[in-house]
Amino acid sequence: MRKRRMVAPVAASLSAALLAAGCGGGGGGVTEATGTLEDPITVQWGEPQSELVPTNSNDTFGSQVFNPMFTGLVEYDPNTFEARNAMAESIERADDKKTYTVELKEGWKFHDGEEVTSDNFVRAWNYAAYAPNGQQQANMFKRIQGYDEVHPADPDGDGPKKPPEPSAEKMSGLKVVDDHTFEITLKQPFTVFPEKLGYQTFVPLPESFFEDKEGFAENPIGNGPYEFESRSPSQSLTLTRYEDYKGADAGNADAVKLVVYEKAQTAYQDLKSDNLDVINTIPTSAQADGRWKEELGDRAISKDRMGLTTLSLPLYEEKFQNPDLRKAISLAIDRQQIVETVFNGSATAADGWTAPSMPGRTDGTCGQWCEYDPAKAKEYLEKAGGFDGQMTLSYNADGAHKQWMTAVAGSIRDTLGIDVGTNGVPTFSTFQDKMDNQEMSGPYRYGWVADYPTPRTFLNPLYTTSGSANYTGYSNEEFDNMIGRADRAATVDEANELYGKAEKQLAEDMPSAPLFTQTVKGARSDRLAEGTLNTRTNVAITSLKVAEPTQ
Amino acid sequence: MTDPGEGRQSTLSTGADAEGVDEVRRDSPQQHEGSPEVGSKPREKQRGLWGDAWLDLRRRPLFVIGGLIVLFLLAIAAFPGLFASGDPNAQDLSLAREGPSAEAWFGYDALGRDIYTRVIHGARASIVVGVLATLLTVLIGSLVGLVAGYFGNKTDSFLARFAEIFLGLPFVLGAIVILSVFNAGIEGAPGMLRVMTQVIVTIGVLAWPISMRIMRSAAIAAKQQDYVKAAKALGASHGRIIFKHVLPNCIAPVMVYATIALGQYIGLEATLSYLGLGLQNPVVSWGMMISNSQQYIISTPHMLLFPAGFLVLTVLAFVMLGDAVRDALDPKQR
Repeated sequence: MRKRRMVAPVAASLSAALLAAGCGGGGGGVTEATGTLEDPITVQWGEPQSELVPTNSNDTFGSQVFNPMFTGLVEYDPNTFEARNAMAESIERADDKKTYTVELKEGWKFHDGEEVTSDNFVRAWNYAAYAPNGQQQANMFKRIQGYDEVHPADPDGDGPKKPPEPSAEKMSGLKVVDDHTFEITLKQPFTVFPEKLGYQTFVPLPESFFEDKEGFAENPIGNGPYEFESRSPSQSLTLTRYEDYKGADAGNADAVKLVVYEKAQTAYQDLKSDNLDVINTIPTSAQADGRWKEELGDRAISKDRMGLTTLSLPLYEEKFQNPDLRKAISLAIDRQQIVETVFNGSATAADGWTAPSMPGRTDGTCGQWCEYDPAKAKEYLEKAGGFDGQMTLSYNADGAHKQWMTAVAGSIRDTLGIDVGTNGVPTFSTFQDKMDNQEMSGPYRYGWVADYPTPRTFLNPLYTTSGSANYTGYSNEEFDNMIGRADRAATVDEANELYGKAEKQLAEDMPSAPLFTQTVKGARSDRLAEGTLNTRTNVAITSLKVAEPTQ
Repeated sequence: MTDPGEGRQSTLSTGADAEGVDEVRRDSPQQHEGSPEVGSKPREKQRGLWGDAWLDLRRRPLFVIGGLIVLFLLAIAAFPGLFASGDPNAQDLSLAREGPSAEAWFGYDALGRDIYTRVIHGARASIVVGVLATLLTVLIGSLVGLVAGYFGNKTDSFLARFAEIFLGLPFVLGAIVILSVFNAGIEGAPGMLRVMTQVIVTIGVLAWPISMRIMRSAAIAAKQQDYVKAAKALGASHGRIIFKHVLPNCIAPVMVYATIALGQYIGLEATLSYLGLGLQNPVVSWGMMISNSQQYIISTPHMLLFPAGFLVLTVLAFVMLGDAVRDALDPKQR
């Protein structure tokens, strides 16, 4: 069964014959699939915003291409998000806690035949970090020693002043020892650095990239399990399996075609009629009542997302400065009931400030404060001296938040007996502006998705005093110290333990009330026996496995 | 129920009496039309246009039924607590989407809130926004349309082009721009009164050109009539001709439009709420209830049917009322 085009008429006549013979046959004809180049496995996709260069792309559609095309030192398990060595034979940390010696596996080749050596990594990273190259992902390298010399900070952010010229072209923290060994020196100790290395920016780039960058963007060459075959802009991109791949996660299907869909609804319909094999979004209309699960049966994919939604509190507002009031709010939210009723169970109630499936997290750090307890909520409201006026909960109206925010507002209102309203801010950019300028007058929703698999990705940016996304205005010296100590910890386990302790400090101060984690939703067609999404909602291409022919 | 009716009657008739002398002339269009009915009641006191209309209306069942429903809805809007004592926002998630029962006549919505209570409490916002927005658009539109149609020439060209600017703006886009500008300076959620005024004004500003076009074309037709020429020949002022002779003959089509637009505006309020620009929780309105229920239409139809039913009833009542008033007011119908 090599040619799919032949399948349909054959199957049709076959089933006609079977019908004539009074035999149902289970209609197995459609499940025939080969996953070859003539008949690739098709995957829902969207046109990436930027060119196909890993260091210059930060949208998920780009990642969908780079994940199977490149293998970095470390890769993340698509199911658990745990980091494991991929191209790295070993990553050893020296006693100074900030120098890493990386040993590469030997014999790995780029798709064009070039061998992958230390030089490919060091050159690629230096290229990405060097300010005049203007790569979008440059700041991912900011922890490496010498970054400030190749990428001086802009004195006024994005303002009109030009940043000073870089004084060096290469980061002093990267040193090639031999073809398969190199050294990374960080500015300061950062225990979870190796976990971060699985991010798509830390991949090696072949010689051909430096020779012809435009040609590379049109015909990217990687070292991953799949190689680039062809692309029709705004329509599709085809990947084929790289036969000489040396890694563990080598993939099954011979060819995968990423197809651009403008609308989730169209993709959903195509999946239902077996014209598309994997989707990673479910249209809102099908999500209502959990209709998609009924329609798709065991083809539905649903798993925890590596993210967390919180009800953040504006600590810069006088009304919200009392931790007892903040605890009262958290206690008044019936998370379990909301998850069951509003999300039809496709979410998990939060018990801490990191995603429930995050490797290395400490469970239940929020403890009693995240349990619905009307009596205690009222007690704490009284302790805080009550609440005057209307409490207004804000959300961005361009996302699907209205329903659950109304439920949260109702839960707080009915439990505490205070006036609670909701305010839909028309667009997310206005909402973001309000957070940036500390203009939120009441609690607001905030969602955060993990960048790398350690609890730190949730704690550091959101709650440390200098955190890049600390919009609540929370500042606690003890918390900052604990994060700092965890960053310098001797082992990852020790670091994780300290992150857990830091979370317990959050439970004392309650700068935000953790609410829930929504699931990643998708589906696969009958043509696939296996196929899953990774925790960042991309389709895990190497997990796709064609079903055995049923006839 | 009868009290407000009688009260209304007496105000109308005193109003007519007070105007005194003008009354004779009011009837002039009818005389020109050669209506036999005017002559058939010679002994009755001379009544004005409105007086006539009132007498006529009282005998129409359409008007009586429509009027009663409207009065009933107004009573709900004014005193929702009399009809439903509960709290419209009280939620019990364990009751979510339960069907109608003895405890909850209309069932519960997706968040376990009693739909009957919400429908009753939602009447105020919906009716106020609908009625006031309709009045505003019709007032602005009719005035501009009358002036444009009556004076013609350059006035007409100018006003018509001016109206076309507004007509060219897509409603939702225009509303987003206007409301975002109004809302820009406010901290947190704006108050209910303020939002309602904003929504009404926005609808008025963006929707008036339609009634203006209708009024303008009617006025162009009416000003060609003999009675208008006669009034001109008698030396009547423009204002007098416009309001006493042209307007009564043009009001019918605008009236029809207005009654239909009413329902549309109640729906528009929901659209704006949905975009985060209109009314927000904890204020309840039918439009919001309808837009919230659309994704549950298959599994929980009662969430949509009850608020939508009340909306339909309201629109129907106003359509009946408008129809009757139009018939009574339009001299050509006699």
